[in-house]
Amino acid sequence: MEEQLEKRYRLNLSWDYEKEEQWINQLSAQGLHLMKPGTVKSWFKKDPSVRYSYCLDYQPGLKRGASMQDYLQLYQDAGWEYVTSYNGIWHYFRKIWEPAPTPKLYTDQESLAGQYQKMQRILSVVLCSNVMIFIIVMTILLLRWQSMLWTIALPVTILYILLFILLGYGYRRAGSKIKQLSDRF
Amino acid sequence: MNKWNDMLPLTEAFYYILIALYREPSHGYGIMQDTEQMSGGRVKIGAGTLYTALNTLLNKGWIDHFPVPEGTDSRRKMYQITPEGKRAAAAEMVRLEEMLMAGRQIMSSEME
Repeated sequence: MEEQLEKRYRLNLSWDYEKEEQWINQLSAQGLHLMKPGTVKSWFKKDPSVRYSYCLDYQPGLKRGASMQDYLQLYQDAGWEYVTSYNGIWHYFRKIWEPAPTPKLYTDQESLAGQYQKMQRILSVVLCSNVMIFIIVMTILLLRWQSMLWTIALPVTILYILLFILLGYGYRRAGSKIKQLSDRF
Repeated sequence: MNKWNDMLPLTEAFYYILIALYREPSHGYGIMQDTEQMSGGRVKIGAGTLYTALNTLLNKGWIDHFPVPEGTDSRRKMYQITPEGKRAAAAEMVRLEEMLMAGRQIMSSEME
């Protein structure tokens, strides 16, 4: 029997993942437990009899296989139930909710800041490679299809500029989070 | 000056991981339990903090994989401290001792 899932909408962006965690945990308190996360649309399973504490973990570079197994084993030993992964980069864990303390994956400021640094590095790589692709695409367009400049080049440019703004914004948000975590006094 | 200076002072998590492995090779879960016990329940290392710290220590060459003994659960990776890791832990203890000594000297002279 196919289980009934409910959908909820929220724009989930990497650098805002602690807010996404809060959102998921609030829904779990209402009996809706995350099963399938998405950038805009996420799916939840209804069960008013339980409540979970969810945690998200950013781990790019984990291949399916041995390293993924070691990773999940460690988290399971620490009492986390693995829920799912998103794009193979974000991993979702949960444990049965308890009044206090709120369980955390990152228990010191340094390691939490390290997570945002990792995110920032990836964002800068994505931003730089997209700038390169944009320059190459534009050069080809200008050299070979000058007649279609306005119909193709303009929309492409606008899309790319929006992408650059979004990535640049994420980079700065991650940066201010790192600064906030390292400024202890 | 030695090459550990960029890693010192260690965070509590790094310090306790090294000290736990100094005693005997262990797996991640064992390190968590040992740390909690050694610190009287004060330091609890979260799974994410431990996982990233173990990877950092492996990359630094301060810890190494330890072959899982026959007859034990082979699903859990085990780790051991390397001579380099032992030297780093010792260097951190020298630093901590110096701080304690300085503080104690001042406090005891104040009481006289």
